[in-house]
Parts: sequence; structure tokens; C-alpha cells
Amino acid sequence: MSGTDPSAAAEEFKSRRAEEGRLAWIRDPSLIMLCLASVAIVVLAGLVQISFGSFTMSISQAWQSVIDTDVIFDSRWMLQFFLGEDLMRTITGFQGAELPELTTETLIVWNIRLPRVFVAIFVGMNLAVSGAIFQAVTRNELASPFILGVSSGAGLMILLSLVVFSSLSAILPLVAALGGAVAFLIVYAIAWKNGTSPVRLVLAGVIVSTVFQSLQTAMFFFADDLGVVQTAIQWTTGSLTGVGWEQVRMVLPWTIISMFLAALSSRQMNVLLLGEQTAKSLGVSVEKVRFALSGIAVLAAAASIAVAGIVSFVGLIVPHLVRNVVGSNYKKLIIGCLFAGPALMVGADVGARLGLMVITGSNSGQMPVGIVTGLVGGPYFLYLMRKKQELGEI
Amino acid sequence: MTDNTALTSVSESMHKDQSTTAEDGQADLLAGESDAGELAGKELVVGYPGTETPVIEGETIEVEPGSVTALIGPNGSGKSTLLKTLAKQLDAEAGSILVDGNDIHSLGPKEMAKKLGLLSQESTSPNSLTVEDLIYHGRYPHRGFFEKVTTKDQAAVNRAMELAGVGHLRTRELGSLSGGQKQLAWIAMILAQETDILLLDEPTTFLDPHHQLEVMEIVEKLHDESDITVVLVLHDIEQAARYSDQMIALRDGEIQSRGPPEEVVTEELLADVFRIEATVEAGSTGPKVTMESPLHDDPE
Repeated sequence: MSGTDPSAAAEEFKSRRAEEGRLAWIRDPSLIMLCLASVAIVVLAGLVQISFGSFTMSISQAWQSVIDTDVIFDSRWMLQFFLGEDLMRTITGFQGAELPELTTETLIVWNIRLPRVFVAIFVGMNLAVSGAIFQAVTRNELASPFILGVSSGAGLMILLSLVVFSSLSAILPLVAALGGAVAFLIVYAIAWKNGTSPVRLVLAGVIVSTVFQSLQTAMFFFADDLGVVQTAIQWTTGSLTGVGWEQVRMVLPWTIISMFLAALSSRQMNVLLLGEQTAKSLGVSVEKVRFALSGIAVLAAAASIAVAGIVSFVGLIVPHLVRNVVGSNYKKLIIGCLFAGPALMVGADVGARLGLMVITGSNSGQMPVGIVTGLVGGPYFLYLMRKKQELGEI
Repeated sequence: MTDNTALTSVSESMHKDQSTTAEDGQADLLAGESDAGELAGKELVVGYPGTETPVIEGETIEVEPGSVTALIGPNGSGKSTLLKTLAKQLDAEAGSILVDGNDIHSLGPKEMAKKLGLLSQESTSPNSLTVEDLIYHGRYPHRGFFEKVTTKDQAAVNRAMELAGVGHLRTRELGSLSGGQKQLAWIAMILAQETDILLLDEPTTFLDPHHQLEVMEIVEKLHDESDITVVLVLHDIEQAARYSDQMIALRDGEIQSRGPPEEVVTEELLADVFRIEATVEAGSTGPKVTMESPLHDDPE
């Protein structure tokens, strides 16, 4: 190319990125398609979720309840749902004993069925993004939020508080998240030897997980009550049964924080993918960045564990699936995960909540959603293993 | 537009005498900063964790600013170790490394990355990364956390693509490139870093002859058109002699010989350092080495 004789061909070989602007990458058609498809799945699965359940109402009744103007145009209801009653009263200055009455259908849809969809959305986002981050940190696409000991730590703490320290069960989510974070710190400490390496992190994660899982199994022997065991199993397989607005309020702030931080750090993750040496020679403080990114991922995973227990495979499959569609650019990958994670989670929860009803015909019993994601995730990985030559390194 | 015109004058200055390009302000664009990078390692002792004896025991290396210096030596002689130490990838147990007169430990990671670029031997990259995206990563040390791509970044990337001759591969994914094309893309990335010092760890190993020459031509251009200081590890002795101003020969972590190629590449040195019997003749592009046979007895 030459400045004095600019031919069209030479121009074609030049980057115009500064002129294109900051968000030019977002116009990628495959990313847009992925997001639209995911939104469609979430909306469809969400509508199924609110239409069916043990309280029988017609589909049109259910859908009308969703857009019941008594709720969606009443900021007091919205504030009460998303911020809690106390905050609602402080903000609006509402003094009455109760908010205006709603129809039974609206109450059931808004109080019971919708919050479950919202929790599924947030859990899906958190797990998917957390998995994507861990895959960048370890440069291994088989990494997941739980590979670095997070799940086993959380699981152990759940069992401990259910079986031994029953006084802690009231703050079970917090305890679970704490357990996950502590386990991760132990893993990091074990892996540390003049810095860490992706391989050592994964190995340390496996070691800590194995020990913690043995302790978990041991814990079952001390459980004297079948109900406790069942609750414990629900937590350790991941379940959305019985979640409400309280769980939405619990997971929402952490979701916003961790998703925001993850999106901001996408350039760091992209550079980490070039290998440790290259990242270092480009001026990245590899250890600091790795630790900070892991922290964000643990926060996201802990937030989802706190409300839904340990839902397997979502953090593994979703980043994988999104990577197959949009490529490994983390700017796109994180955005893709923000949409595809909820799609898988809400979809799987339809199966978990209504699957048994369809199969057995009875109105009782729900499966933990973790079982459904496991049943979907396992075969997906089998398919990948058969189809792809190299699986592992990004 | 100013960037474009400046770029042409850099290309035009290609055939100018080197002494005049130093005064030509526009030539600085290639080097990023004005002065040639100074790089020196003093009394370096380097080892790997877990090994008892250090790989390099108290060597001093001073690189002439603006020159091309080739490190040669047999496998395991410590040349890559030395290069990695100079690039702060390995910590020296003793000794100090000075970049432009500053100890590298006083420089922050990004500051360091603005002064010194390293092409690693083992570079991994996601297959779906495009050449252009890869080269933009070279701008990492120049960009703040929230900063978007500036026209300056863009100009640097375009210059790097032109210099490495990878403009036509701009939108290709790395996974679809040959090993040689990939290497050129990586070199473009560190050129976009706009450092005064470039360290290349075996840039031509595993490449076909065409791409080896492409890589060495870039080194030659950098040498002729700018005052970037280049230190590179090469396996090919003739290639090293042809393209470098200074050569440093290592064996067992010790510098055996240093100086201009004609002084370093001798039959005695080849026997001593590489343990080969070879004849050396003066050729048009530096010493010509004809390798004959390996020496089996220990030269000690």
C-alpha cells in the first residue's frame, strides 16, 4: 500500500477499527441470532411455566395475569417484588397495611410462577458467565464454575449446616456461598508455587473436590432424619423448587455486579487466551488478573448456589455452545452467555417442574433442575467428544 | 491523514543512509519512541525452580542500541533462558537487567511492555481469532482499561500489518493459516506494540524456507529503517551471521564468544560450542559454513 497512490485493493487490507467505533463487534449476525433465539426460548419456556401448575387456570387467563395492569403499572408492587417490602415502604412512603388486592390468578402468576422464571434467568446467567471466565483463566474449555472446588466446598457447607449446625440453616445460601469461596481459596493456595498455572489449578481443584466430596458422603451417615437427607440432596443437585421473590432479591444485586465486571474484563480474558508468556510480555499482571477474574467467577457461582444449589453442567455447556456460534472473542462470548445461559436454565426448569407431571400424569413431585441439566449436558458432551477432534484447550 | 503521509515517508526513507534517518523525525513512527532501546543484563544468574545449579552463572550481556544481535548455541545452552530473563519472563537469582538505564524491577508491567516486546517460542491462540484481532492485542500496553481503539492504535496496527506483509490476511482466522503465516501474524502483533527493543525467541524454527526468509526480511527492514534494537535466538548459524551485527555464542550457560559474525563464526568455535567439524569461508552475505561431521569426543 502507498499513501500517494491509494488503490482500492490496498484500502481493503487496512484496519478501519477506530472509525468503526467501540461497539462495532456487537453487530455480528451470529451473535444477534444467538441472542434473539435465546430470548425466544426464555419467553416461550417462561410462558409455559406460568401457564401450568397445580392451580388450574386457562392459558389466556395466565397470560392476561402477566400483563395485569394492576401489577405492572403499580410501582409499589414492582418495588415490593424487586426490592422488598421494607424498601418499597421507604421509597413510596406507603403506610397502609396491605397493597391493593389482586385476583387469585394474578397473585399465583406473580407471586409463585414468575419469580421462579426470574431466578432461573439469573442463575443461568451467573453459571454461564462464571464458566466462561473459568475457561479463560484455566485456558481449558472443560473447566466449569465447579472445577476449582467451588461446588464441593458449597456442598460440604450445606450438609454441615443441615446435619450438624442446624442453627445455620436459616442462612443456608450465605453459608453455601462462603463454603464455595473458601474452597476456592484453598485450591488457589495449593496450586500456588511461585505463581499458579492452569494445570495446577485444575489438579488442585480435583484434589480438594475429592476430599470434600468424601466428607459430604460421610456426612450423610450422621443425618438422622430422611427429610434432612432429601433437603440436602435437593441442594447438592440444584433445584428451583419453592423459590420466590426473596430469592430474586437475593441473587439480583450480585448478578448485576458480577455480570458488569465480567463484561468489563473481556479484553483481559482475550489476552489471557494468548498464553501466559505472551500475556505477560504485553504487560498483563497475569497472576493478579487471574485471581481477580476467578474472584468474579466465584462470586457469580456463589450467587447462583445460594438460591438454586449446585446446578451441574450449565457452566460447562453454555460457554461451549456459545463459543461454537460466535467464536472465542470474549466480548461476544460473555454477551452470548448472558442470553444463552437463561435459555438453557429456564428451558431445563420447565422439564424439572412439569416433566414428571407429563410422564406420570400425577400432580405431585418435581425433579431438581440439576438432574435435567445433567441429563441434557451429558449427551451434549458425548456428542462433542465424538464430533470434535480436539477438545480441551481453547 | 497525517498518519498516511508519514507512513509513506517512512517507506521512502528505506534507502536513506542510517545516520540521516535518526534525524528524520518521521522515522520515529516505526520505532514508536525516538531513541534506540538500550538493553543490558549484568552478572546474571538464572535457574529454574527445582534445579540445583543455575542454567546461567554470572553472565553479562550488553546489547548495542539499534543493532541486531543473534544468540546462538546448541540445545540447552541457555540462549532461550537468557532471552526470557532479559524479557522479565524469568526472574534472575542475581544480577540486574537494565532497559534504557532503568532496572526492569522498577518498571510496571505495562511500562515494560511499551519498551520491550517478546515473541515467545510457544505461542497459543484460539483458532477463531482473526489476524486483525490478534494484532490489536499488541496495543494492550498502550490502552487504558476503559479506552477504546484510537486512531493511533489503528495506525500502529496498519503499519505493523504492512511491515509484516499480512494485510491480505487481515480478516482470516488464525486456525486457517499455515505455520509461516501464523508466525508473521504474531510478529505483526509485537510490531504493533511499538517497542524500542524486540526479543525474538527462535522466530524461524519450524518454518519453511520461504517464511524463514520472510521473517528475516522483516528483521532486516527493522534494522535498516528504524533504530529498534533486536535480539534473537537462531538455530541456523549462517542465517544468524547473515542478518546480525553482533553474535553471542553460548555453551552450557556460558558465553563463549561475542562480536561481529566474522569474528564469532570460526571453525574453532563451531568445534568448541556446537561440537561439529565444519569449514568456514568468507561469503558475500557473511561467513559460509559447510558442516561436515559431528565431533564425538569431548572437546575438553
